[in-house]
Amino acid sequence: MKHRFCIYVGLCLLLFSTAANAQKKTDTLVSGTYHNIPVQQFLLQLETKTGYRFYYDTLMFDSVKVDLSVKDQPLLNVLDLAFKNTAISYSADNQKNIFITRGLAVQSTLPQGFFVSGKGNSKDTLFVKGMNYLGDTSGKSQNATQENKLYVIGEENITNAPGGITVAGYVRDAKTGEPVIGASVYIENPRIGVFTDQYGYYSITLPKGRITLYIQSIGMYDTKRQLLVKGSGKMNIETQQEVMTLKRVIVSAEKASNVKGLQMGVQKIDIKSIKQVPVAFGEADILKVVLTLPGVKSVGEASTGLNVRGGSADQNLILFNDATIYNPSHFFGMFSAFNPEVVKDVELYKASVPAKYGGRLSSVLEINSREGNKKNISGTAGIGLLTSRINIEGPLIKDKSSFIIGGRTTYANWLLNLLPDEYKNSKAGFYDLNLNINHQIDKKSSIYLTAYMSSDRFNLNSDTVYKYGNQNLSLKYKHLFNNKIYMLVTAGYDHYDYDISSSRNPIYAYSLGFDINQGYFKTHFNYYLSSKHTLEFGLNSIYYKLHPGNYKPLGKESLVVNDIMQPEQALESALYLSDKYNITDALSVEGGLRYSMFNSFGPASINNYRPGVPKTEDNIISTTQYDKGKIMKTYHGPEIRLSARYALSSDLSLKAAYNTQRQYIHVLSNTSAMAPTDIWKLSDPNIKPQFGDQVSLGLYKNFKSNTIETSVEVYYKRIKDYLDYKSGAILILNHHIETDVISTKGKAYGVELLVKKLTGKLNGWLSYTYSRTLLKMDDPNAGEIINKGMYYPANYDKPHDFTIIGNYKFSHRFSVSLNTTYSTGRPITLPIGKFYYAGAERTLYADRNANRIPDYFRTDFSMNIEGNHKVHQKTHNSFSIGVYNMLGRKNPYSVYYVSENGIVNGYKLSIFGSPIPFINYNIRF
Amino acid sequence: MKILLCFSFLLVISIGCKEVYNAPITSPDTGYLVIEGFINSGDGPTSITLTRTTKLYNAGNIIYEHNAQVTVEGESNESFPLYEFGNGVYQSQPLSLNNAEKYRIHIKTTDGKEYVSDFTPVKATPDIDSISWKRENGGVQLYINTHDPQNNTRYYQWKYEQTWEYHSTYFNSLKYTYDPSTQEITGVDYKYPDAHVDTSIFKCWKTVNSTSITIASSEKLSQDIIYLPLVYIEPATETLSILYSMNLRQYALSQQAYQFYQKIKKNTEQLGSVFDPQPSDLQGNIHCTTNPTEIVVGFVEVTQEKIQRIFISNSQVPDWNYRAGCYITEVDNNKDSIAIHATGLLPGTPSKVTPFGTVAVFYASEERCIDCTKRGTNVKPDFWP
Repeated sequence: MKHRFCIYVGLCLLLFSTAANAQKKTDTLVSGTYHNIPVQQFLLQLETKTGYRFYYDTLMFDSVKVDLSVKDQPLLNVLDLAFKNTAISYSADNQKNIFITRGLAVQSTLPQGFFVSGKGNSKDTLFVKGMNYLGDTSGKSQNATQENKLYVIGEENITNAPGGITVAGYVRDAKTGEPVIGASVYIENPRIGVFTDQYGYYSITLPKGRITLYIQSIGMYDTKRQLLVKGSGKMNIETQQEVMTLKRVIVSAEKASNVKGLQMGVQKIDIKSIKQVPVAFGEADILKVVLTLPGVKSVGEASTGLNVRGGSADQNLILFNDATIYNPSHFFGMFSAFNPEVVKDVELYKASVPAKYGGRLSSVLEINSREGNKKNISGTAGIGLLTSRINIEGPLIKDKSSFIIGGRTTYANWLLNLLPDEYKNSKAGFYDLNLNINHQIDKKSSIYLTAYMSSDRFNLNSDTVYKYGNQNLSLKYKHLFNNKIYMLVTAGYDHYDYDISSSRNPIYAYSLGFDINQGYFKTHFNYYLSSKHTLEFGLNSIYYKLHPGNYKPLGKESLVVNDIMQPEQALESALYLSDKYNITDALSVEGGLRYSMFNSFGPASINNYRPGVPKTEDNIISTTQYDKGKIMKTYHGPEIRLSARYALSSDLSLKAAYNTQRQYIHVLSNTSAMAPTDIWKLSDPNIKPQFGDQVSLGLYKNFKSNTIETSVEVYYKRIKDYLDYKSGAILILNHHIETDVISTKGKAYGVELLVKKLTGKLNGWLSYTYSRTLLKMDDPNAGEIINKGMYYPANYDKPHDFTIIGNYKFSHRFSVSLNTTYSTGRPITLPIGKFYYAGAERTLYADRNANRIPDYFRTDFSMNIEGNHKVHQKTHNSFSIGVYNMLGRKNPYSVYYVSENGIVNGYKLSIFGSPIPFINYNIRF
Repeated sequence: MKILLCFSFLLVISIGCKEVYNAPITSPDTGYLVIEGFINSGDGPTSITLTRTTKLYNAGNIIYEHNAQVTVEGESNESFPLYEFGNGVYQSQPLSLNNAEKYRIHIKTTDGKEYVSDFTPVKATPDIDSISWKRENGGVQLYINTHDPQNNTRYYQWKYEQTWEYHSTYFNSLKYTYDPSTQEITGVDYKYPDAHVDTSIFKCWKTVNSTSITIASSEKLSQDIIYLPLVYIEPATETLSILYSMNLRQYALSQQAYQFYQKIKKNTEQLGSVFDPQPSDLQGNIHCTTNPTEIVVGFVEVTQEKIQRIFISNSQVPDWNYRAGCYITEVDNNKDSIAIHATGLLPGTPSKVTPFGTVAVFYASEERCIDCTKRGTNVKPDFWP
């Protein structure tokens, strides 16, 4: 690299001196009138007049005409005049050779050694003279692929609109043509920087003149572009993936950093890092990796329900592209429902949630899928012990549209067949399918289609059959009005359902169905007002339709009566506006306001309860019947999103954020893990929306040239009207659910420490969290006071949590990963005594969550071995081999006491009680 | 669901996902009053048992509440006393209750506290239609069949006792003889001078009470019909080796009582899966009037008991193939041989007899194969045919 760089510098110096010298020595004067003659003819005439020789590509200039009249001008002046306002430039050497060129490739295509005069004596004037290769570029995008070439943006003589010059375009992966999301695009002096959005689009306001534009992104080589900015223009940038290169390449020391960003509590992990983390059964699991981030917890190993900063599992908005995924897990939480081959990266917003998102209190987990290779058909496949997956991607129209299709399935039945006879008839299966298509309609418009489907089915011993699945479809249209404004319009449909059926006892044979449907429409505008202001605004609207329970007989003998819960419908809408304001280089703020409104619609019959007394069946005073489409209740209110950053130095910054959120849809669950039978409930006249606010403060410091990121964040959060359940509540098929739930208050606070190193041989992160989540129910009107109205810990209140995710690359083909995690045991309700009843000893319970299960500690190890890296072979192979829970520790999931044959026995249940070896084979083609 | 998850990651790797564990917690001295029973609106007496809750790791026996004043009270101020029968059981004479009235239980304990249940109406319990059974997977599955033609019972509870007759595998006519001074076994001799078999340890009965809460509801059905699997008898077990009987008692419940029992069942019997509902505190319909915040366990209401008994004999279950798994050993009738070969065994019958009529060699086997009283009673129950 260094060597190559020297050549470039040398070449440049040579080139400059040549041009400078050439002019002095040309004393032949030219006169003549050239009226609309082809360039070719014009140059021939000059050759005969001056004795110079012109070198050029005849094809390139055959359409260019010259209209010129000169008298006694030096040759070079004549050429200047002739090629004024065109993309044509020239250079001359001292042997009376003149090279006429056009377009982008001058620098690299000029043969080395053409210019040998070597009297370079001046700096940075090299490109000044007549080197406007690009001519008019304001109308079309240019593809800037090279670091050391000067790209000229815009036209010099165009007066720029107030607000500065905007350069915009896409950052793409040079190999696959896919967008690079979240890449930082910035200049150093003055410091101006932006990030690419999820389409790889950026828009940056730049000063006029020579600048170096830096582009950095995780998983891509850091790169830069030399620009001569004359006016607004477009420039697409292609960057190289940092993957398959065998040669060591100098990695720039200017890593995109958490110090410069404005947002707090945002964590982004790309699929490469995810794949390095060993998980049970060896398949890369997005949610399991998200769980290793500070501030994210779950109740146990079998659960993919995330508890972010003290929020419950239903307070996370899980977006796959734009689709809301209601159940992100397979196999009762053993696997996450996202095919790792299709996912590009994952972004988790814990604190400053952008104003465009709303509807959940705790977090937004944005899972972005890849767009598919725009250049070639390719694919990957993986085989594991329990699951296999495949994906194929490729262009539909080369460089314009691409598709990616992925599928995953399991064959765990062999495992179930090994079970003792009593489980012999058990079956388990799941699959998921993805399809993404994107198409660039023209330079300004693109369209994206995402389709997703997952399905799970289990039956235990041919008794109860559980089925559940997600189905999502979204269509997005992106339009660039100009460099400063673009628009996104998205429409889609999300569906989640489950079905439980049992036919063992023919009289009771039943099926119980539940589903959520939502149609949504979103418009989003992004307006790069100036280098100081970026505005985002838009409108979201979701129409919900829930069928909370549909209980039906199964088979002819069944005496089960249809029990159909009345459907629920509602419209949730929000308007939002946010402004990112860079006050000074050091201080920037972002203020956002989201105004959300929720309308609950008929048809429905709603119970009215006597005010001031507990909501019980006895206190129903009347029932109101609402007609179809009639608004039963409207909740609305503002949500504030504020964040600020103050840079104390280039690698140290302080950030603060305040966020409020409203949530109108709730999970009803009295299990500690997120169960597939949990039902969702919309707010209605009797169920208030949840409200939460959070204030957070963070300090960010980077070390070792920004290769090591560290951060400390503290937060304090309040939750209001979170739904908890009464003791012994019936949540399924309950026609007056409001009598069985209670509104609780919550508070959560904590400190999160993170040290992260994503480059180098040794990479990974280390996080420690101290946090508490406490709930309180002290409303005497709720009919029941939990734990005497005192604060009690939530199920996922694990004060200490420590995680190391480490990966060491011995070579490009061999790396090892180790992760270790420790956390305090979760709270649990244990008996305070026992008594004798109905022929057996039985346990007595009192306060909720007054005890804890033993602490959790686990270490996993894996080796990732890649086959050879020859580029030209049909397939590339890789293996991962590892052990989950290497130390075989029997980490408890729960501790419980059960009455068996008349006696109370205590047990500890662990989900993975021994080391679990795994192997996975992956193939790329 | 438990199964699934445990599903066993153990299979592949032979993990146990469940192990015995007693959390290191110190439970308080609770000593809350526990009230079990019902006010009988039928023919029999009303029987209420009073006990106290204990520490979780209390190895001791059940703590009964003695000397309490227990009365059944009607809304119209009638009052029927109950008298303690020992072991915390308080019983009344058969009560003649007014079906249109509501009744409650009133308890005054020796520490001066008073407890009352809510007034509940008199519930009638329909007759049990039948106890049916069928062979399933080699064993026998018993079912409850019941219905209420009026369709208004809806919630039921059952209690049952299972009794079965069983026989020792081997006859016994011998006993060990002991050295009077050292108490060492010296040999065997006939139990009876006429060398008769000891029939008192050959034929026994065993009775087992239900230890789990059996409730069901037809609330989701179009008719008030119950068809509920009750007990499964594993194939080739002793239970059906001769004759088996079940006595089933049926009670109609109110919805509240049903929910109370379901809560106990969930709290104490149905734990251990990944998706357990969390245990909840148990609010019955009995309150301490002197200290309203005191925990009281129990649900007492007015109902009737309906009883039905069924017999199943071994001849009704062909190929039952019961094997006790007993083995017999021939042992020489001398001290040394017995010490070597018959330790822990009981003598059965003679194998070789000397010309003088004494035992030379005898059959010996495990205690359980010779003496059935070790795990049952040799007193024939009244109801046994």
